[in-house]
Amino acid sequence: MRWLGPWLCGLFWSFALPFMTDACAQPQVLDHMQALESSAAAPPDAAAGWVDTPLPHSVAAPSAGSGQGAGWYRGGFEVPATAERASWAVYLPYLYEGGQVWLNGSLVGAIPESTPETIVRWERPQLLPLPAPLLKEGMNELAIRTAGAPRRAARHVPRVQVGLWQELQPVYDQRMFWVRTMPQVTVVVCTLAAGFSLFIYWRRRSESLYGLFGLTAALWGLRTLTFVIEAMPIGSWNLWRLAYHVATGGFIMVLTMFSLRFVGLRWPRVERGLLLYWLIGPAWLVLAGPAYEPLVNRLWTGGTIPITWALLAVMSWASIRQRKASIMVLTVALVVCVAAGLHDYLVAWNAPFLVELLPAWARQRYFLLHHAANILLLAMGGMLTARFVRALSSQETLNARLEELNQTLESRVAEREKSLATNFERLAALQRQNAASQERQLIMREIHDGLGSRLFTSLLRVERGEMDHRRTAEVLRECIADMRMALDAMAPDHDFQVALGNFLFRWQTQLQEAHIQSTWAIDVPEDAMKLPPQSALQLLHIAQEALTNVLKHARARHVRVELRQRATVLELEITDDGIGAEMSPDRIGHGVSNMRARARRLDGRLDLLSTARGTRVLLQMPLASAAPLPEIAMRQAA
Amino acid sequence: MSTRVLIVEDEPEFIRRFSDAVVSDPGLSLVAAVSTGQAACALLDLQRPDVLLVDLGLPDIPGVEVIAHAARYQPDCDILVVTMFADDEHVVRSIEAGACGYLLKDASAGRIAAGIHELRAGGAPISPGIARRVLARFRAGVKTPTPSQPAPLEASPLTARESELLRMIAKGFTFDTIGSLLDISPHTVVAHVKKIYRKLAVHSRSEAVYEAGQLGLL
Repeated sequence: MRWLGPWLCGLFWSFALPFMTDACAQPQVLDHMQALESSAAAPPDAAAGWVDTPLPHSVAAPSAGSGQGAGWYRGGFEVPATAERASWAVYLPYLYEGGQVWLNGSLVGAIPESTPETIVRWERPQLLPLPAPLLKEGMNELAIRTAGAPRRAARHVPRVQVGLWQELQPVYDQRMFWVRTMPQVTVVVCTLAAGFSLFIYWRRRSESLYGLFGLTAALWGLRTLTFVIEAMPIGSWNLWRLAYHVATGGFIMVLTMFSLRFVGLRWPRVERGLLLYWLIGPAWLVLAGPAYEPLVNRLWTGGTIPITWALLAVMSWASIRQRKASIMVLTVALVVCVAAGLHDYLVAWNAPFLVELLPAWARQRYFLLHHAANILLLAMGGMLTARFVRALSSQETLNARLEELNQTLESRVAEREKSLATNFERLAALQRQNAASQERQLIMREIHDGLGSRLFTSLLRVERGEMDHRRTAEVLRECIADMRMALDAMAPDHDFQVALGNFLFRWQTQLQEAHIQSTWAIDVPEDAMKLPPQSALQLLHIAQEALTNVLKHARARHVRVELRQRATVLELEITDDGIGAEMSPDRIGHGVSNMRARARRLDGRLDLLSTARGTRVLLQMPLASAAPLPEIAMRQAA
Repeated sequence: MSTRVLIVEDEPEFIRRFSDAVVSDPGLSLVAAVSTGQAACALLDLQRPDVLLVDLGLPDIPGVEVIAHAARYQPDCDILVVTMFADDEHVVRSIEAGACGYLLKDASAGRIAAGIHELRAGGAPISPGIARRVLARFRAGVKTPTPSQPAPLEASPLTARESELLRMIAKGFTFDTIGSLLDISPHTVVAHVKKIYRKLAVHSRSEAVYEAGQLGLL
């Protein structure tokens, strides 16, 4: 942004300096001519009533809508004897309505005037060669006809310069550049910038600034176009003028909205008001008719000036408050613009104040708003581009940071995963330990309750002398049987079915050898298969106890063992046809209480029915409680 | 014409028990009772007993080797393994080595004698545990093809009936029950078991050969 200041200054000086004074001293400048209102086709003769008039001369319209007719201006210039006559020319900075140039009574040049079919407005300067044969040595008479301006507020005639072509050409070129070439370039650039900006807005609706800038550029391009296009068919003229006003008003209004939003102020009501004001002008023109254009132009366009001052005030305040370089640059550009606008206004209406202050400048009728607006658009565009670039680079830094963050995150996640894995390992190990300890507890309990208690009672009995060797052998056998069963039930890959199978096999053999007929109705349901080792053991112990009783005491001939499932209840029934419990006192005792205790541990109940005809032992246990413990299930699964 | 029994057992109590059982039975005669494997092997060649009663926990050489020796050099000899548990892993290994059955250590004298007689009569003691292990053995024996031995050893060494039989034994059914279920006599069941044992021994031998072949030893 630092280069913008010097660039502006340089521009200003290169622009202003040559025009602070009149053009080159050599060409002759006619600052006075005689004027005559006349629509004559040829220069009226001397007696017509010429009035001496200083140039530049503006003739205001007598009344709105009527315009005025053509006018003739007459003046003389010297051709020195020694002067080269081959290349003389007359230079008119402007002749808006077109007209004719007569030299010594002959037509030397014509600039197209408005016809009923076409309306012209020539912004460009005119450089017309003066044919050598028509030049006289000494005093020559120049007559200029300016056409009428039927739709104009005023008719303007500039100071005319006469001189050598070589001398006038640079002047002409310079003015041409500023007055014609620059607007053409402006139109192209505005169109492109508008297209670009509006495309961005279309793709990113949230970036309203780009939209407003695009619109501003488009409107300015349109307005400038009305200066670039110098001839317009009459049919489209009104539309053309309407377009001009829409563009001018719109430019100011949209610019204001852009600036407000740029500094971060969103005032919906103000914006709506601006839009409304924008509509008033063209609407007024449409309703009142083209004749009122000058009035509309003066009042409505003039009314935008206070709006721009208000905008300037807001922008200055924002500059001070926010202290951002971009806002300051924009404010400066706006100031320049507003000043230029004001200047143009004064120039257009030939404000006496300006004419007195800078007569030479005012004479030139240079309109600055064109260029100031270009600067403004440049500033706005530059602002947005800078923003754009900043957004891109911040995007880059954001991306870099995101990368960094991602990496940190990844490494942290990896760490966490590792620690989690370690924890899981530990947990699994703990669970295994737990399972192992549970197993140990199981074994301990089994040894304690089963083998242990049997051995201890037997020891006491032996020491008391109550056990004969037969009974001792019996007890030891029972211990071995208990041990076999316990090992069976607790072996890791044995489920209930396996333990049961082994149990059946053992007992079938035993009963067979004892010549007891046995019937086995075993139907192990799916749910029972999932019995944990403890439950299986208890159940088998109960069966073992019952069958041992049958074997030893019952003196039975037949025994029936049935295992079945009724709903959620597992039933074990052992029936024999031997003598009942009353007949055999040995059976009563801790054997039965043992069975009952085991049944309780299974959450079940034990039914003992003993008559003289036989005994029935019925165990009922719920299967729902047979859900395996998760650790053991894990072990079994592993 | 009594059955000549050789006992190989290192614990004196059990030597006494087995010897008493054999001696008290008129149908059996005791060849010798030794307590080391080496002595057993030597006596096997010398005396050629009808029945060999082997305990696996011998002090010098593993009982399985004695069994293998007997199976190779005395094919007519029936071998019984003495064991505490009817589903011991060792029993199945002994059967693979050539044993024909097992005998529980805590069996009564009558039971021991009866067991020997049954064996001589063509019986084959088996328990649910043994049946399960045999089934597992045959399942594990089906090897996957390798580059040097494209075809597996034996696709399915057991017939469907034999597998079914083993499964039923594993569930705890008696031979009578199985016989009635499969509609065969209990004797046929027993014969099947004997066949299965022989297959297991053959299978394990072939497996050894196969393994040796795999390792490039043969």
